[in-house]
Amino acid sequence: MPYTKPIPEPDPLGQPFWEGAKSGKLMLPRCTSCNRVHWYPRHICPHCHAREIEWIEASGEGRIHTFAVQHRAFGGWADETPFVTAYIDLNEGDRMFTVLRGVDATKPETIKIGAPVKVEFEAASDDVSIAFWRVVEG
Amino acid sequence: MPGELSRAAAIVGAAEANEIGYPEQPRTAIQLHIEAIKNVSDQTGIPISRINGVFGAGWSSQIAEHLGLHPSYIDTTSVGGGRARGADPWDPGSLYSNPYGVSGAPSNYSHAMTRHNYRWGTTPEDFAHIAVVTRQWATLNPRAVMHSKETHPFGGPITLEDVQNARMISWPLTLLHCCLVTDYGGAVLVTSPEVARSVKTKPVWIAGAGENMSHSNMLEMEDFTATSAAASSAAAYKMAGMGPEDMEMAMIYDSFTVTAGITAEMLGLAPRGEGFTLWKDGRAAPGGSFPINTNGGGLSFNHSGMYGMQLLVEAYRQLSGTAEDGGYSGLPGKQTSARSCVVNGTGGSLSTTGTLVLVAD
Repeated sequence: MPYTKPIPEPDPLGQPFWEGAKSGKLMLPRCTSCNRVHWYPRHICPHCHAREIEWIEASGEGRIHTFAVQHRAFGGWADETPFVTAYIDLNEGDRMFTVLRGVDATKPETIKIGAPVKVEFEAASDDVSIAFWRVVEG
Repeated sequence: MPGELSRAAAIVGAAEANEIGYPEQPRTAIQLHIEAIKNVSDQTGIPISRINGVFGAGWSSQIAEHLGLHPSYIDTTSVGGGRARGADPWDPGSLYSNPYGVSGAPSNYSHAMTRHNYRWGTTPEDFAHIAVVTRQWATLNPRAVMHSKETHPFGGPITLEDVQNARMISWPLTLLHCCLVTDYGGAVLVTSPEVARSVKTKPVWIAGAGENMSHSNMLEMEDFTATSAAASSAAAYKMAGMGPEDMEMAMIYDSFTVTAGITAEMLGLAPRGEGFTLWKDGRAAPGGSFPINTNGGGLSFNHSGMYGMQLLVEAYRQLSGTAEDGGYSGLPGKQTSARSCVVNGTGGSLSTTGTLVLVAD
């Protein structure tokens, strides 16, 4: 089934992330000076302003920081309402945005902030895979 | 001790475009701007030809050109009211947010409400009080879109049940937790103390001003229940030599109920987690001890996006006395005898904030 939702156009700065995603790995940028992970990718460390940034393979684990249920959307997402969007606290630090899987969007009261989640990737095209996060048993 | 720029400038007039809300005849943005400027010129008696600085949320050079002005100071801002950025395919939003189906402000702000509920033990219904009370103010303002059934099929008073049972937009935000989208044009005239003392309108002094930001993309919002209004208001209060305890009313950008509730906390008007109580216990309501959003707010008055000007026009209207003398430029409606007002606008996704402390003579 063709992927009908927006497909980002990978940028040079985030190349290791996009490459990793294609093989099911979550790659994150980490500053070699202060050792802190940041998301989204930067030209300079937002914590200490060093420019030496490496990429690490992350655990792919995190927790729900906060979430919402989208009842209105455009394009391909309009066919999937309601769906749950969430900010994920990464185990390695900082936060990613996603659409949550493994949750019932019609019962938001059953979705728990702090619940553990794991990353998975969906191939949106030959060149782009998109990270989604799934609620797992704590 | 007030800072040296405190009260170095005054607002001496505030006006709106002739028709706001949902005009029958389509209006262009430039027309709304120009009408408001003409009205504020008439109100103050300061001719347009004397305007020497133009500030807008965009549009400044187009406005000056339309007026045939060559001002010596021109600027724009995205602080205190913002909207979606352009579609740069490589900006963080395009790459790491938009693929996940977010569609504009409601779909972002809802995440802040969820976190506030979790962190502070609040409920969506707590925030619904903000919508109910703000609508009460709108019923007192004939220019408010939601003033009555005559101005809008869904106008007039609303209940907590109305708010909570309205169509869900982005859980936990129903339609009535979200602001309107309407036409609006507004203008204020800012001048020196010398000129302010010589015009026919009363001055409202800019006692304090501050700006700050915490992020641009919500990915970088550290605490979803706090905004940079804490920092921008701290700067404004310091410059004014005043504090929240000295304020007698507030004008707060209520893009959503959650925006107003959190901002009230950041401005020091309520403890963390308790901003909504200002509305719930009636202090912010008509007849209450601390009026907030006396025009009916973005929730029920008008909201063109970049709402900061609407806050300023109403703050001037309430503090200046222009509202009680028949209302220059058609803006009658004195709602409070407050002499001081804290004004805060939020731009982006709870991102940027500007705060003013305004004081009447």
